[in-house]
Amino acid sequence: MEFRDYYAVLGVGRTATQDEIKKAYRRAARRYHPDVSKEANAEEKFKEVQEAYEVLKDPEKRAAYDQLGSEWRSGEQFRPPPNWGRDFEFRGGAGDSGRGFSDFFSSLFGGGSPFGDVGGGGAAYAARDHHARIDIELEDAFRGGTRTIELRRPRATADGHVAVDTHTLKVGIPAGVLDGQHIRLAGQGEPAQRSGPAGDLFLEVHIRPHRLFQLEGRDVSLTLPVAPWEAALGAQLQVPTLGGPVDMRIPPGSQAGQKLRLRARGLPGQPPGDQLVILKVVLPAADTPQAKALYEQMRRDLAFDPRSHLK
Amino acid sequence: MSDNPERFQAQVVTDTVWISAEEICRSTSLSVTTLSELVDLGVLHPRGARPEGWELPISVLPALKTAARLMADLEVNVSGVAVAMELLESRRELERRVALLERLLDDLTHR
Repeated sequence: MEFRDYYAVLGVGRTATQDEIKKAYRRAARRYHPDVSKEANAEEKFKEVQEAYEVLKDPEKRAAYDQLGSEWRSGEQFRPPPNWGRDFEFRGGAGDSGRGFSDFFSSLFGGGSPFGDVGGGGAAYAARDHHARIDIELEDAFRGGTRTIELRRPRATADGHVAVDTHTLKVGIPAGVLDGQHIRLAGQGEPAQRSGPAGDLFLEVHIRPHRLFQLEGRDVSLTLPVAPWEAALGAQLQVPTLGGPVDMRIPPGSQAGQKLRLRARGLPGQPPGDQLVILKVVLPAADTPQAKALYEQMRRDLAFDPRSHLK
Repeated sequence: MSDNPERFQAQVVTDTVWISAEEICRSTSLSVTTLSELVDLGVLHPRGARPEGWELPISVLPALKTAARLMADLEVNVSGVAVAMELLESRRELERRVALLERLLDDLTHR
């Protein structure tokens, strides 16, 4: 494993007072805290700073660390000396091997070392949330459903490289979830640290485009093809909705592009969304003598000028 | 992929889904006292009469977790963290608006 120069991480000399170490930690923590920092690798830097402070703020750990000598440089290959920590009195209960610190820290101060967390000390700490995206079908958003997702989580390996773990989750999708909304899976984020809770996993919901329906908020719309006589004379038609087909009355004199509303047939919620039905008049082809004759008769008998308003 | 992964029920993160103060405290490691102070400072607006019966919209949970970490890592007090929460929210809102305006500008220049 690689040696870590905790003094260099905090930017203080080996003779720094506890007060100087605390100030240096606060300065670095404010700069790199992942919740506020815009620096590249802020999270990684912050962990290094936390790890260094965890050792240097504690006189027992600092004294033990100092005994390793001042010749070491960060990155040099290191192995804990035999009987590490033998000649130190220690309180125990201050170790923190579960917070994502380095192997160097774990081997010197983590569980199993004389400084290890024998009493589970340290304040409870909320682990970080993780974020990912989930693609679902419109039907899942309408009825609720279950989707199995595979998430890839980067992890630092013991030799300092990055490995990717695959994590499979079966997610219960709540009915009525909207496109762009976040859903929370409690406790599925970063694992718990100290006695604190595990982080949550927040999934940003993306609803895939649907073959028939378009989604706008909770409302869905459907373009319904109708024959000219159905639009002109009115009709009772069966219309698909997310909840299954329903009968709908097309009023006489309907026009292409006209919108009809089916109340509460959109995504569930308080209030539920509606389904808009947009009429699209489809003309039969004039490709038989009989069809041509009907069109000819309409041209002759109907006083109809679709462009009258342009004049 | 594992053959039979455990099923987890998701909650929609919105202002209309409410969770108990108890769950908030459990998820964030914040104490009820800290929650009460944030309510007194006007950062949180719970429903319910007494802290033990309070409910808050689940949408405040991520911000409260950030608050808990800032308090633990930077030794910020409740008043300080209340200011930080407001400033972080303002920054997020400004970043959202900048991103939107950049998209619009991009559309206009490539039209």
